Amino acid sequence: MSDRQPNEKPVVRGADGSESAYVESQVIMSTVRVIAPFSLTYGLFLLFHGADSPGGSFQGGAIIGATVLMIAFAFGIEPTRNWLRNRTVVVLAAGGTAMFALVGLIPMAYGANFLEHPFYHEQFGIKTKWGLEAIEVLGVAPIVAGVVSGLFFVIAAGSLPATEEVSEDD
Amino acid sequence: MVSAFGIALFGFVLATALATALLRDILAVIVVFAAYSLGMALFYAFLLAPDVAMTEAAIGAGVTTLLLLLTIATTVRDDVGIAIERPNLPALVVFGGLLVVMIGTVTQFPALGSRNAPVWSNPEVTQYYLEHSYKDTKVHNAVTAVLAGYRGFDTFGEAVVVFAAGISTLAVLGREVFTRE
Repeated sequence: MSDRQPNEKPVVRGADGSESAYVESQVIMSTVRVIAPFSLTYGLFLLFHGADSPGGSFQGGAIIGATVLMIAFAFGIEPTRNWLRNRTVVVLAAGGTAMFALVGLIPMAYGANFLEHPFYHEQFGIKTKWGLEAIEVLGVAPIVAGVVSGLFFVIAAGSLPATEEVSEDD
Repeated sequence: MVSAFGIALFGFVLATALATALLRDILAVIVVFAAYSLGMALFYAFLLAPDVAMTEAAIGAGVTTLLLLLTIATTVRDDVGIAIERPNLPALVVFGGLLVVMIGTVTQFPALGSRNAPVWSNPEVTQYYLEHSYKDTKVHNAVTAVLAGYRGFDTFGEAVVVFAAGISTLAVLGREVFTRE
């Protein structure tokens, strides 16, 4: 799924004659095309298997975010930026924070403490384990993956020529 | 005892750290710094801390390197004549003072795996989590149980800090969107 769109036109950014840091390299592109599916799978494995083996949501989310960065470095930042919608990044980062807060606040609404996981078992019969998993999979990992990839694109965009900053109407 | 692999790894980390501090060319510094992070990741794995090793490899060697490369790719690179930074005296004095404090502290640490280390000699806290974490949470990885369960509130704070870092970067750069919408 990783090399679907960004490799259609790898040199879009340099086409306007402006100085571009991107250099199309067959070696890097081929390497990333092979490695990206594995690193994405490894990130997902760490994320979903973090409760029972080393790793966890932070590491998994960071590796998923790093995979996006790797693709952007190989196939050009601009095509990847156009392929990744701003909505996706914001939903990941803000939604993750909201989900984490929600898991913590629901017990409080019933009079228990913030993030009191055993409460879910007593009240709804949901195992304590799923409370931890919800924080990991729905909370921390999306925040890390979203912020890591978002930081990369916002720093790249901050250094683009000023003429491209017309899209500030959001 | 420290194995030959440990000594070699320590030498590699030390050499890359020195090169990071002394090299003049910024691109070379970033590349050497990435090698340093990779060495530190191996070092954490060597010290049986796989969770920390993964974070160092992903964030330290991967993301930070890419962010630094991206930053200098769009700035002017000075063509400096000298390869090695000339150390200045006040910095060396501060460095020497910190070194004395560091050596004084590190030599007081208990040896790796020592039975006299506080983690073994005062086992109430550590052993509590090792004994109860699976019973309480049904999660095999005690680190996950502590992070998401017992210390969930701290983790919530950390997650909010990461989120705030993303938002404040937008504020500093005067933008409102991460990508082009």
